[in-house]
Amino acid sequence: MQDEKELVERAQHHDQEAFAQLYEEHFDKIYRYVTLKIGNKTEAEDMTQQVFLKALQSISSFKWKGIPFSAWLFRIAHNQVVDYFRKKKRTDVPLDESLATNDKNPQLIVEQKLDTEQLLSATKQLTEAQREVISLRFAGELSIAQVAKTIGKSQGAVKALQHSGVVALRKILQVTEND
Amino acid sequence: MTKEFDNILDECLERLLVNGETIEQCLQSYPEQAADLKPLLQTALATRQAAAVQPRAEFKARARYQFHSALQEWVTRKRHPFLSWFPRWATVVAIVLGVLLIGGGTIAAASYSMPDSPLYPVKLAAEQVQLALTTSDIGKAELCAKFADRRVTEIVYTADRGDTQRIEAATRRLDERLVMLASLTSTTTKAAEEAPRMLESTPPTHFGEAEDSQLVPMSGGKDNRVKLRTAVAGYATNHPAFLRATLKKAPASARPALRRAINVAQTGYEKALKGWD
Repeated sequence: MQDEKELVERAQHHDQEAFAQLYEEHFDKIYRYVTLKIGNKTEAEDMTQQVFLKALQSISSFKWKGIPFSAWLFRIAHNQVVDYFRKKKRTDVPLDESLATNDKNPQLIVEQKLDTEQLLSATKQLTEAQREVISLRFAGELSIAQVAKTIGKSQGAVKALQHSGVVALRKILQVTEND
Repeated sequence: MTKEFDNILDECLERLLVNGETIEQCLQSYPEQAADLKPLLQTALATRQAAAVQPRAEFKARARYQFHSALQEWVTRKRHPFLSWFPRWATVVAIVLGVLLIGGGTIAAASYSMPDSPLYPVKLAAEQVQLALTTSDIGKAELCAKFADRRVTEIVYTADRGDTQRIEAATRRLDERLVMLASLTSTTTKAAEEAPRMLESTPPTHFGEAEDSQLVPMSGGKDNRVKLRTAVAGYATNHPAFLRATLKKAPASARPALRRAINVAQTGYEKALKGWD
């Protein structure tokens, strides 16, 4: 955290190398988070770029008030996603490929390899809050404390959403044993 | 009960996802909850693995270049507002004096500059100095690969602006670096075959930059060569692919120069990789 704070302060003082380092550290995580939230890899690419350009424009407004830089960055990403859905209307968002989950067999065997498309499809069936927590936790790789800061909820509430989200995913991901 | 289970689940997830423990290890700590925990941990683990989507290399390179361009513009505007109106020769003199007086800050800023930036000559000069100060062949080869990566970024940047002259200049510099890289890879391979111990004792040289994530710090001679070969093999695929993608969108006037750049990248990397065979 101390290292990150120092990097952010350097970036705020227009240190190019520091900002480039922050970019490298967070790029993949932001991309994964956006992909899981919108379910479309191509759109996620453009949006990820926008997140960092937005961060560049507004880094000077970032202040250390108990909110880590990563949480601030994920909030920018979250706002981009909200704008995206507002423009496109959520129900119209296409998935990358055929993403139908297999519900022929109710036996839950998610310990099998789950592919990305199945996950993208499954997360669309979660509640908005569950989906946010699952995306930040498993795609963004944030800790419970960081997720709590990002979405402005208590850690207890985030843990409860994580629990209910994983339970819901378990139910949705009904995969036949031979798939 | 639920709150307690939420905490147990989260603790197990931390152990599983962050500390690398197995599901069985977690279950052993909570035998009473094991039956409920196991399927959830399996789901969570599968979710993490499926969520680990890797951005396409081509997209990542393009995004990095665009971000660095925006970053360069942002820094120049904020930190050196005078550069936009200062005469070019005076800017270069001021930069050189500044470097002499205040040290490496400007060099760090220049390392991200593009060919149309007043800081670009400083970037090229700094690269020459880095090469001259690096004594080991493997260190020089590492720098050549890193600088070749920069040249490709610059070619793409100048191609977007239809600046044929600068594409050609960057292509010449790319060619120089790849020729040097090929010569060094063949030398280091021979030296490694003849005297591996001597090579392994060569002190590593590394100018770590965030942009060069493929070139990780190198610690040992044999490891150095393996890591460098892996990085160069990646560039051999990605750089021509990246340039070809640029060619599709480039203005017609820039295309002949871009085709030459693609040719230089392809043949240059082939020769460099042959050095390891």
